[in-house]
Amino acid sequence: MGAVPVGLAPITAIGRSFLGALRTAGAVVLFAGRGVIAFVSPPWFPGQLGRQIVGIGYFSLPVVGLTAVFTGAALALNIYTGGGRFNAEQIMPQIVALGLTRELGPVLAALMLAGRVSAAIAAEIGAMRATEQIDAMQTLSTDPFRYLIAPRLAAAILVLPALTLVADIIGIGGGWLVATRTLDFNAAVYVRNTWDFLQGWDVVSGLIKAAVFGFIVALMGCYHGFNAQGGARGVGRAATNAVVSAAVLIFAGDYLLTTLFTHR
Amino acid sequence: MAREQWAETGVGAVVLAAAAGFLIYSLNTVGSGRGHGYEVSARFGQVGGLTPGAAVSVAGVKVGTVAGIALDPKSFEAVVRLDLDPKVPLPSDSTAKITSDGLLGGAHIAIEPGGAANTLKSGAQIENTQGAVDLFGLVGQMMRSQGSSGDPSSAPAANAAPGAKPAASSAAGA
Repeated sequence: MGAVPVGLAPITAIGRSFLGALRTAGAVVLFAGRGVIAFVSPPWFPGQLGRQIVGIGYFSLPVVGLTAVFTGAALALNIYTGGGRFNAEQIMPQIVALGLTRELGPVLAALMLAGRVSAAIAAEIGAMRATEQIDAMQTLSTDPFRYLIAPRLAAAILVLPALTLVADIIGIGGGWLVATRTLDFNAAVYVRNTWDFLQGWDVVSGLIKAAVFGFIVALMGCYHGFNAQGGARGVGRAATNAVVSAAVLIFAGDYLLTTLFTHR
Repeated sequence: MAREQWAETGVGAVVLAAAAGFLIYSLNTVGSGRGHGYEVSARFGQVGGLTPGAAVSVAGVKVGTVAGIALDPKSFEAVVRLDLDPKVPLPSDSTAKITSDGLLGGAHIAIEPGGAANTLKSGAQIENTQGAVDLFGLVGQMMRSQGSSGDPSSAPAANAAPGAKPAASSAAGA
C-alpha cells in the first residue's frame, strides 16, 4: 500500500467500507459455522442448555403473549374495516388467523425476542469478554463456543417456534375477543371458521420461520457480545448492534422465506 | 430465585394457561358444533355466496348467524344451519330468504316472520325458503334471449320471479 493520490481518497474510502462489510459478513458466517459445529458435536453442556431454554423461552412468555393479544385484536378491527368496504366482513376470522400464523406470530415473537434476548446475550457475553472471563475459559481449555455460544443458539432455535405457537393461539384469541365483544360475531362460528380455514402448512411454515429467526436472534447476540471491544462502552454498543442487526435480519429473512414458501 | 423472577414465572404461567384455555375452548366448540342460541335448519336450492358466519336478520336487524352449510346428498339441496338468538322466537311459518347487500358478495339470510301462533323450536326446519338469485346467470340469459329471440323456452324461465318453494328456486340459479 503506497501513498494514495489526493483525488482518489473518496474512492478508497468506498473501497475500504465495502471490504469492511465483506469481512463482517464473512466473520458472521464463520462464527455461525463454529457455533453450529459446537452444538451438533459433543461434548454438550445440558445444564447450560436447560438454563437458556428457561431464560430465553419461558421468561419471554409474558411479553410475547401481551404483544400477540393486542396485535390480534387490532388486526381484527382493521380487517373488519377493510372487509366492510366490499361487504366481506364475514371472512375476518380467516384473514386474522392466516395473518397471524403465517406472518405476524413468528415475526412479532422474534422481534420481542430480539429486544429481550439478543441484547441480554450480547451484554452478558460482552461483559465476560471485557472482564477477560472468556480468555480465562480458554486458558482452562473450556471451549467458549461449546459452553457459551452453542447452548444459546440451540435454545433459541428450539424455543422460538414454541413461543410462536403460543403467540398464534393468543393472537387469534385476541381477535376472537374483539370480534365477539364489540363486533357482534358469533363466538362458536368464529372459532369454527378459523379451524375450518387454517391448513397445517399455514402454521408449520410460521414455525419454520420462527426457528430461523431464533437462530438469527441468538447468533446476533453472541456475535456482537463475543467481539465486543473497549470495556463498558463496548458492551453497550454490542447490545445495541445486536438488537438492530437481529431486527433487520429478521425482516430480510422473513421476506426471503415467504418468497420461498410462496413459490414452493 | 429473586422475587422478580417469581413474578415473571407467575405471569408466564398465566400466559400459558390463557393459550391452553382458548385452545381447549376452541377444540370443544369445533367438536360439539353448537352455538349459543337455538339452532334451526333450512333447505335451499341454491346458496350462492353464502358462507358460515353470515348474518341472519329479521327486518334488517341481526338475530343470528349461519352456523354451517352442508349438501344433502339425496336431494342435492343445501342444508343451512342457523344459530338464532333465543330472545327472538320466530313463528313456525316464517320464510328464510338469501339476499345480498350489494352486487358484490355480502350474502346473508333475511327471515320474514309468518303469522302462525306456534314458534320454531330448536332443531326445527324452516319450510318456506327462497334460495340465492344468480344475478350473472339472469343477466346472461336475458342477453341471450334478446340476441336470438328464436329460443322461447329460456326467456320466460329467466324472467319469472324465483319460486317461493325450496326446490323451485334452483331454477333461477341453474
